[in-house]
Amino acid sequence: MKGYDIYLVGVGGQGVLTIGEIIMSAAFRKGQPVNFYPTKGMAQRGGFVKAQLRIGRESAGASIPEKGADLVISTEVSETLKAVRYIKPGGDVVLFAYVWAPTAVMVGKAPYPAVETVAEQVAEAGASLTVIAPETLPSFEGAPVPDNIYTLGVAVANTRLGEVLDPADVEAFVRTRWKKGIERNLFALSAGLARA
Amino acid sequence: MTVKLMTGNEALAWGALHAGVKVVTGYPGTPSTGALTSLLKMGPEGVHVEWSVNEKVALEVASGAAWAGQRALCTMKMSGLNVCYDSLISVAYSGVLGALVVYVADDAGANAGMPEQDSRGFAIMADLPMLEPASADEVYRMTKTAFALSEEAGSPVFIRLVTANSDSFAPVALDDDPPAWPVREAVLTHDIDRFTKAGAAICMGQHRDLLARLEHAERWIADHGLNALTLGAKGGLGVVAAGITTAYLEEGFEIASQYGFEPEAASVLRVKAVHPFPVEQAQALLRHCDTILVLEELEAHLESALRVQAQRLGLSTRVVGKLDGPFERIGEYGVGHVVRGLAAALGLAIPADLFEGRATAESFAAGRPITVCAGCPHRGTFMAINKAVRRAGFKKNEVMVTGDIGCTILGMNPPFNTVWTEVSMGAATGLAQGYVHAGVPAPVIATVGDSTFYHAGIPALINAVQHQVPLTLVIMDNGWTSMTGMQVDPGTSEDYQEQGDRKLDLAQIVPVLGVEQFWVVDPFRVDEMAETLAAALALPGVKVLLARQECVMPALRRGHRAGRTSVVAGNCNLCRLCITVTGCPAITLGSEAIEIDAAVCYGCGLCTATCNRAALRSEATLEVAP
Repeated sequence: MKGYDIYLVGVGGQGVLTIGEIIMSAAFRKGQPVNFYPTKGMAQRGGFVKAQLRIGRESAGASIPEKGADLVISTEVSETLKAVRYIKPGGDVVLFAYVWAPTAVMVGKAPYPAVETVAEQVAEAGASLTVIAPETLPSFEGAPVPDNIYTLGVAVANTRLGEVLDPADVEAFVRTRWKKGIERNLFALSAGLARA
Repeated sequence: MTVKLMTGNEALAWGALHAGVKVVTGYPGTPSTGALTSLLKMGPEGVHVEWSVNEKVALEVASGAAWAGQRALCTMKMSGLNVCYDSLISVAYSGVLGALVVYVADDAGANAGMPEQDSRGFAIMADLPMLEPASADEVYRMTKTAFALSEEAGSPVFIRLVTANSDSFAPVALDDDPPAWPVREAVLTHDIDRFTKAGAAICMGQHRDLLARLEHAERWIADHGLNALTLGAKGGLGVVAAGITTAYLEEGFEIASQYGFEPEAASVLRVKAVHPFPVEQAQALLRHCDTILVLEELEAHLESALRVQAQRLGLSTRVVGKLDGPFERIGEYGVGHVVRGLAAALGLAIPADLFEGRATAESFAAGRPITVCAGCPHRGTFMAINKAVRRAGFKKNEVMVTGDIGCTILGMNPPFNTVWTEVSMGAATGLAQGYVHAGVPAPVIATVGDSTFYHAGIPALINAVQHQVPLTLVIMDNGWTSMTGMQVDPGTSEDYQEQGDRKLDLAQIVPVLGVEQFWVVDPFRVDEMAETLAAALALPGVKVLLARQECVMPALRRGHRAGRTSVVAGNCNLCRLCITVTGCPAITLGSEAIEIDAAVCYGCGLCTATCNRAALRSEATLEVAP
């Protein structure tokens, strides 16, 4: 494999960067060269967040070129659109279809794109889309599992990310990443991995 | 060797530590912040690490240590370099006895806002060497090199990163057995010819010494092979790549080879010491190649220097870069620049849309202006300013509210639209005075955060007091340097100050600056604050309001909440006033009533104050914010 590039987008507070951190660590465990470039910009909670992961190249700059990403993972419907230009034709998009409406949208002063619009744009870019509806998020002990970990599991199971990462390495990292809620996170991961 | 994943910033911290650094100073600034943060976390024994009040003081502290023979590091973003540059130029003239490494992080692409300043120009102007590593691993090694070079040449040395490598995580091979640096005694050198500037003879002598040190550095850099030249086919293509752009060469060559480019025929000069310009290697490249592609972000420094060398050699080598295109002086470089540059230099036919994705998709995305966090006290201040302007009988577009650096600038965005300007640290208070002198008939308001006020706001306030300029300054004191990730500032609670440090109190500082009209207000009590502010606007002279509530992030990390806010669903008619006024991320629209995300809500009660149907209820918790 020449290299595998992942573009992550979402909103600050959704755990987008955590997805990147887990992938980075799992790739590193597998002995793969990796560069993880998170960009929070000025965003505190509620702002646009992106991150770029480049795996498998000995020498790689941090930024993924347009039409260069093998995989886009998005945790917010509208923000997906900011990643479309980076998708490689033939690449994958995994979208956790949560809607985090900006204030102007909530008060009816600005439009918000439908999931269908996102699907059209992704299709125009020549990539395939997997949509995870938030209401399908499984529960663990009565509460929905962490959506970011679940989404990562879905991406590993349904895209070439599964060839790049060893699910066991992902699991091993999730075990050590948090002191609390290990079982909940592992359940989220395995439920995501089991989703076809 | 132990290979670890870390950011360029952290790698720089390790490099400094393994080079025997004794004093580390800096001021937070994205994307440089992580270096000093890492060192504070490591807490190395015998090393003094501090967030200084501003970059100028930071540089002076580090310079003092370097003049006393120690190894010192000073960290900042490019804006901070501007702040300390007055001192730096003077220190450059004197040189150093120990080592002084100045780490500056530039932000091509303006990921964090502020100008896309290319700090290489400052190295050129100060005649100081500047190193520019590409990968995190290189950052670690070149930081050690920077200390060695500084001590060898007796000169401050810059190390410059950009956002793409300072904030990127990558594997770094750390030395397992770094040299144990013997404890150095501080030395005192009494030499006014070197350490003062009074007199033309002294200054011109120092200027001569400065140039000699730069020349020395140039030889050292050449001897240590920091800039690598590999020659390919005679008369073929040459490539000059600077710092971060070298990281994209291999990938770009590979892609371009699909379109007829022959990588082995190309000659390549990888420039990691960008100043002084590697004249000998550049001349060798010029003699060897007919066309040279220059890859450098932002300004055309290397390209211009290369063209000068071509002229000196009497060569009419074709240079492809920015001056004659195809590249512009704006934004970050990527692999696309390498490939497009090769295509332009060699006339390769590459598809026009090779790096052009579907950009139109973004036009369907919802706008997401950045705003303050749920529970942020600045929200209350913006609401109070807007209210006070109305209460004082003015329209919003009549009252200038100057803004400053940090989270306090977020009042520029909807729903507040409160602050109008952003210039540099502490600038709001000076700008406001200019508007007053210009003859603006309505009251003028200046805003500033606590850390920014300590940094560079105090002189501006003193100026206003001396000249008795009628204006109202609102200092938004949340006790932290928040925008860069909650660093400790002089006003942060004693609980978070470093061992032996003490907290200062703005409520004591402002009155002794000669401010006679001074109020401490609570931004969570919007009505009271608006009333105080409206009254202040009508008074003559300098008025200062200190709006005080702790930043919500550290408070949340301690498990603190200001209160509990709940929705009385039956009373809510979905008028959305609470959303329109506060823009709080904790509030969303439900089908029957608005909803509050209990996990996000801090219980500040600001939304409750906006509701005129008693549909929101806030109860303060018994805890009191420190």
